[in-house]
Amino acid sequence: MHILPQKGDAIASRPLPIAAQLIYARDLLRELVSRDMKIRYKRSVLGIAWTMINPLMQILIFTFLFNRVLPLNIPHYTVFVFCGVLAWNWFQASLYLAAGGITENRDLVRRPGFPVAVLPVVTVATNMLHFLLSLPILLVCVLIDGLPLSPAVAAFPLVLLVQFGLTLGLAYLIAATHVFFRDVQHILSIGLSLLFYLTPIFYTADRVPAEYQQLYLLNPMAQLVSAYRAIFLQGIWPDGGALLGVAIFAVAMFALGYTIFVRASYRFVEEL
Amino acid sequence: MQDAIVVDGLSKRFRRHGTQPARTLKDLLLGRNMRRSEYFWGLRDVSFSVAQGRTVGFIGPNGAGKSTLMRLVGGVGLPNSGKVRTVGRIGALLDLGSGLHHDLTGRENIFVGGIIAGMTRAEVARRFDAIVDFAELEAFIDSPLRTYSTGMQMRLAFAVAAHIDPQILLIDEVLAVGDLAFKQKCLERIKKFKAQGCTIVLVSHESSQVRQLCDEVIWLRNGTVNAHGPTELVLNQYITEMQDETRRRTPTQAPTMRLPMGTELRLNQNRFGSLETQIEAVQLLSRRGYEVIEIDSGDALQVVIAYNALQAVEAPIASVSISRPDGSICYDTNTAMAGQTLPTGAGPGQTVLQIERLDLAGGEYFVNVGLHERNWAYTYDYHWHTYPLRIVGGPGGEGVLCPPQQWSLEARREAQLSAEVAGQ
Repeated sequence: MHILPQKGDAIASRPLPIAAQLIYARDLLRELVSRDMKIRYKRSVLGIAWTMINPLMQILIFTFLFNRVLPLNIPHYTVFVFCGVLAWNWFQASLYLAAGGITENRDLVRRPGFPVAVLPVVTVATNMLHFLLSLPILLVCVLIDGLPLSPAVAAFPLVLLVQFGLTLGLAYLIAATHVFFRDVQHILSIGLSLLFYLTPIFYTADRVPAEYQQLYLLNPMAQLVSAYRAIFLQGIWPDGGALLGVAIFAVAMFALGYTIFVRASYRFVEEL
Repeated sequence: MQDAIVVDGLSKRFRRHGTQPARTLKDLLLGRNMRRSEYFWGLRDVSFSVAQGRTVGFIGPNGAGKSTLMRLVGGVGLPNSGKVRTVGRIGALLDLGSGLHHDLTGRENIFVGGIIAGMTRAEVARRFDAIVDFAELEAFIDSPLRTYSTGMQMRLAFAVAAHIDPQILLIDEVLAVGDLAFKQKCLERIKKFKAQGCTIVLVSHESSQVRQLCDEVIWLRNGTVNAHGPTELVLNQYITEMQDETRRRTPTQAPTMRLPMGTELRLNQNRFGSLETQIEAVQLLSRRGYEVIEIDSGDALQVVIAYNALQAVEAPIASVSISRPDGSICYDTNTAMAGQTLPTGAGPGQTVLQIERLDLAGGEYFVNVGLHERNWAYTYDYHWHTYPLRIVGGPGGEGVLCPPQQWSLEARREAQLSAEVAGQ
């Protein structure tokens, strides 16, 4: 297996000034995200409303299931499960779409000057937008349940950023490996459904037996979901230590994923 | 002048298609096929440089490495060894449709396409009207792309790509799209880039385009640079070699033909080609229409070529050249140069070349005639040193040309005298 290129093969060309590059990167990201949003809902009657309908349906099902059929007796269950579903959907959809993100954009990858590394960012950002678009409904639910909106909401962007970094790192890793091994998609779908049950989305983490607690909380998504719940459900500041741990993990994940992606990206053209 | 592109010892190896399908985990686990891949060199030790503002064409048969080299110059992919250095913003007219989406409107596609091509949003916005104007799509700009015809889509794509502001422009076979008028517009646009001092790399199979646009040509063969030099020189060399290809296509079994004058036509000696279309008779006629083998220098000459297409051939090219017995060509013309082609189809036909004045020096010559595939890919029939022509008169000496001429021995003395008179 030689995904990584040998050293000393670098392509040298005179770069643009940093400011111009930043403006370009911003425009590119913005335009590609808006392209993805437009394409997804073009020619559908409800259009962007689907962004909200999907999680709402999931929440409805969970609420019925775990309030009536198998009562878990969790207070404010709608808000509780809403936080979990939104965070999880963002994570899951990003990784799913990242897998095909390179292979389905063959013509962009083969284009001189196109920064391939932007593609996973577009995927994660597009799905974050879906998350943000559903947020008002979550806030409405919070208000209906009579929960107070505390100043802890200020921590929300930070949690968002940590999840963005974590997801992007994994997205880079998945996108790059999928080009070389098309099995990644299948492994991913098993892995994600497993992780879904190992994340406290429709149940509370404290129901996990004590002997597994330590291991269980190593799942960074578990920590992130707890952080969202602290903000919206409990109205308290999220656990700083746990969040810091996840943030460090996210940075490491990002560094690893990005490095492997960039190294592998030179060989995408041949494999597509 | 500074070099805009420097390619140094570039090599690129590819896995041969078919020996290894998309790898799966199963293959990996079984250790199958992982090391026994077959490789071939797509490019091997390619070095050249292009000065700023020059237009260089890559020519060569399919699979010679033209597109691979183009992409490596554009920074796509990684060479196995060697370096590419480019100076300036690179624009690309390759895969024109990339990034366009059928469900988006023309307007939305211009923004997406423009930004993918390397412009910022502000730049696209500024050039938006010019792009729409160039594509001639004002009326449809807010309709989704799927309602466009293929030609309209290509126009939109080219218009977007043509409004980037590159210092290096890579063009790969994109001028083959669109109707004739739009094609002309694209060519004009490329000439404008050229005039602005843009360095251009062009891949084209149409030698007329290469001739029209390129200052120099790099001829690639099997991934190596076979020749790099002025367009005319290298291109003609290339075309000649394509004619050697004809030699290989020539059927081995073909009857020897005896011409009315007694000369024999023997395959691969004085006759070349696949013989899908055959030259049946060649007549050299004087101004008055008599068959001749001798004319005075400066007289008119008609070359009448009667041919028969045994199978339908598409728009063949007819060529006539005049050479000396040593093989050096004095005069060379063809229908493609004149922008004409012979009719497509099977059956007999005739074409006449009218030369108003044949100002060749006196001596022995041959008239050579040929019929060729419409892209010069190979030759159908070519008669070499078969039809003799004697030219009478004209000066002796080493020269070939004998144009109407006059020595004016008095001129300088008179001019001197009048100057002296004027000076006094």
